Amino acid sequence: MRIAISTIVLGRRSVLRTLWWSGMGVAGGTVAPRLSLGESVGAHEDDSELIKKLTGRTPVASPRVHLDMPPVFSNGYTVPLTLEVDSPMIQTDYVRLVHVLAPRNPITLVGSFQFTPQSGRARVSTRIRLAEPQNVLAAAEMSDGTVLMTKTWVKVDSNGCA
Amino acid sequence: MVTVQPRVQAPSEVAKDEIFEVRTLISHPMETGLRRDESKHVIPRHLINKFTCRYNDAVAFSVEMHESIAANPYLSFYLRATESGRLQFFWEEDGGAVYSLASSVTVRG
Repeated sequence: MRIAISTIVLGRRSVLRTLWWSGMGVAGGTVAPRLSLGESVGAHEDDSELIKKLTGRTPVASPRVHLDMPPVFSNGYTVPLTLEVDSPMIQTDYVRLVHVLAPRNPITLVGSFQFTPQSGRARVSTRIRLAEPQNVLAAAEMSDGTVLMTKTWVKVDSNGCA
Repeated sequence: MVTVQPRVQAPSEVAKDEIFEVRTLISHPMETGLRRDESKHVIPRHLINKFTCRYNDAVAFSVEMHESIAANPYLSFYLRATESGRLQFFWEEDGGAVYSLASSVTVRG
């Protein structure tokens, strides 16, 4: 019933988020605090703002940036991540730097990966910590100055930052 | 104290212009500085904060690592085979210690 009321009052994105968190609550038994958190953080506008602060450029969502992570992972201490940016990786056109951000971790910037034409391929795999379920962001600074971004939802069951 | 042990897996021979994979691992707690021990004292931050791969001395790939990189940092990345030579790998730790490894690669054709 509570969810039905929210549907009328809040926008589409908020409703989706509410549904997410209530789903989380069934598993974890923590509906109330999650809902209040969900109101202020995590919206797409905030993601862009975060990346703009970091890179100085407004990012453009792009299918050229691939961030592969498991949608559900039990252990927040070591979540596999593979990122790849489609690029010829030649002197005149390559990926300079890719930032990975986890906005709901205590420290948002996870890492910055610097590529060169010598890389041949802008692809890297590593393992990261996630404090709670969230959208992980990847922002790629290209050699022409543009910033491309993508995000991937990951649900973890244990806090990897505790 | 845990021994910090870097490892690298890279091919010793590749074809010219081949794009080959390099895998690295270093045993390290990646202590965030956010945790407390049993007596509630903050465990100080102790991270590998930077990884660098040099191909014949030029930086080919590097990573700035922060608190959310998992313990025992693993990296898989790629290099384009342009010429035979030396690959060097450096891990920089908070406090200034540097761990390093090197390997050689022969480019055929």
